[in-house]
Amino acid sequence: MKVAPVEVYEPYKVGLPPLRKYWRSLWARRAFISEYSRSELHEKHFDSVFGQVWLILNPLLLSGVYFLLIVIIGGHSDKVRYVHLTGCLFLFYFVANSMTAGSKSVVRGQKLILNTAFPRIMLPISVTYISFINFLPTILVFFVIRTALGFPFGWALLWSIPVVLITGIFALGLSILISCATVYFRDISSFLPYFSRTWLYLSPILYEVSTLKPQLRSIEAFNPLFPMLDSWSRSIVHNEVPQVTSLLQGLAWALGILLIGTYFFLSRERDFAVRV
Amino acid sequence: MSNSEHKRGELAISVQHLGLVYKTTIDRRPTLKARMSTLGRGTKHTRIIHAIDDVSLNVPYGSVLGVVGANGAGKSSLMRVISGILPPTRGRVEVYGKVSTLLALGVGFNPSLSGRENVQLGGLAAGMSRKEIQEQFEEIADFAELGEAIDAPMRTYSSGMFSRLGFSVAVTIKPDILIVDEALSTGDAKFKEKSLNKIKELRGEDRALVLVSHGLATIREVCNEVAWLHKGKLIQRGEPNKVVEAYEKFLKVGRSAAIDEDI
Repeated sequence: MKVAPVEVYEPYKVGLPPLRKYWRSLWARRAFISEYSRSELHEKHFDSVFGQVWLILNPLLLSGVYFLLIVIIGGHSDKVRYVHLTGCLFLFYFVANSMTAGSKSVVRGQKLILNTAFPRIMLPISVTYISFINFLPTILVFFVIRTALGFPFGWALLWSIPVVLITGIFALGLSILISCATVYFRDISSFLPYFSRTWLYLSPILYEVSTLKPQLRSIEAFNPLFPMLDSWSRSIVHNEVPQVTSLLQGLAWALGILLIGTYFFLSRERDFAVRV
Repeated sequence: MSNSEHKRGELAISVQHLGLVYKTTIDRRPTLKARMSTLGRGTKHTRIIHAIDDVSLNVPYGSVLGVVGANGAGKSSLMRVISGILPPTRGRVEVYGKVSTLLALGVGFNPSLSGRENVQLGGLAAGMSRKEIQEQFEEIADFAELGEAIDAPMRTYSSGMFSRLGFSVAVTIKPDILIVDEALSTGDAKFKEKSLNKIKELRGEDRALVLVSHGLATIREVCNEVAWLHKGKLIQRGEPNKVVEAYEKFLKVGRSAAIDEDI
């Protein structure tokens, strides 16, 4: 009697691996993602007292620095502006951190990639998850500030949940895309700080969408974070229901980037072992 | 413990006319800058590597296959294809059982994490469950003789500690098919002896083993069959003493008639 082989390795066609099998193998390893982030966070933050405080202190200092900037160069400033800045900055840094960590994720996992067969996409997923976990305490900080400054609470605040979800999908897609590109061009991770700084200024963070000069409104079309940050600010700062068009626009960007990123990654990942 | 699922003599690995050709970068660190600055000049950034050329092998359960060959012979590439890390370019590889991926070498991919965390992460990435790893962790730590260092960051490990831990992981997590790549060549004499005994013990359990090593004495002692690779080609395959002797002769002479014919 002939026994069927457990695994057969044959030459592959260009393009995507069998998706169903890939997904099963990824799902079976979901514990890796939580274990990876747990160990990483533990190593970075929980070994020292200052490390834990830093998680809260870092976003606070950040928002302080940018507020100073607005006060000095912008002239007028009020508490709405400060709260908008803080909230949007935190969401922006979730995306930016996920992108930066994503760029290094595959290259840093070199040893594992060379010696273990696993769905490589686990690596960028893990680092985005870590960025998300790091984002959570900043929401807490934000709500403390918001409450202290006497902003009203209401149901519209709940709209922030789908907005975070959309932004999360976007951050994941970006991280997957960048992690794959960095394998081929290692210097991408050195460009990223400049890129994300520019992106910060082109996003409605230091200013609100409504105060933007009409001739500059065109950047809206090219900046995926525009609709996301606008909806985010409307919901968590102003306690308003975000515009449906913004939400849909954000969702379209997020899904688009995720699809493109995943396609690139999956069609190239079999190459990684000889490229990293 | 014996291997209940597979009987001695049943086929474990079947490699059929395997060929592996891949493209890799010439620069150690490919950059966008390098690409831009040489744009339009026709500079080549990648090269084609013929790693394996028409290799066929069978490994039955209950046997140890030794793989010898000079550096760059394609030994590691062959192991990576068998464990599903590199897809083949030609031919076909059938694996009848659970293969230990080259866990030994993957351990410690994140040097700032402790040995314990690295072992857990490596195991999870290889598709093991948390429970399976927990159950075997004590045995791994004992065998590696790391003591308290198991909870220290791996960047503080010596190379001996590194490979001791790697080897322990590979032999403790009991796969049907075990691949050990060079892991025996480091470590002190005492650990070498211990690992040799472990290999012999595993051989007795009707598992299939593939052992890649430069230690010819080890190969002679534990293997049932030896395959000799040179520049991606299978030069000779058969009884250990005979193949190792031929290989040793080749090493001394530099080249042999058999290889000249082939190339």
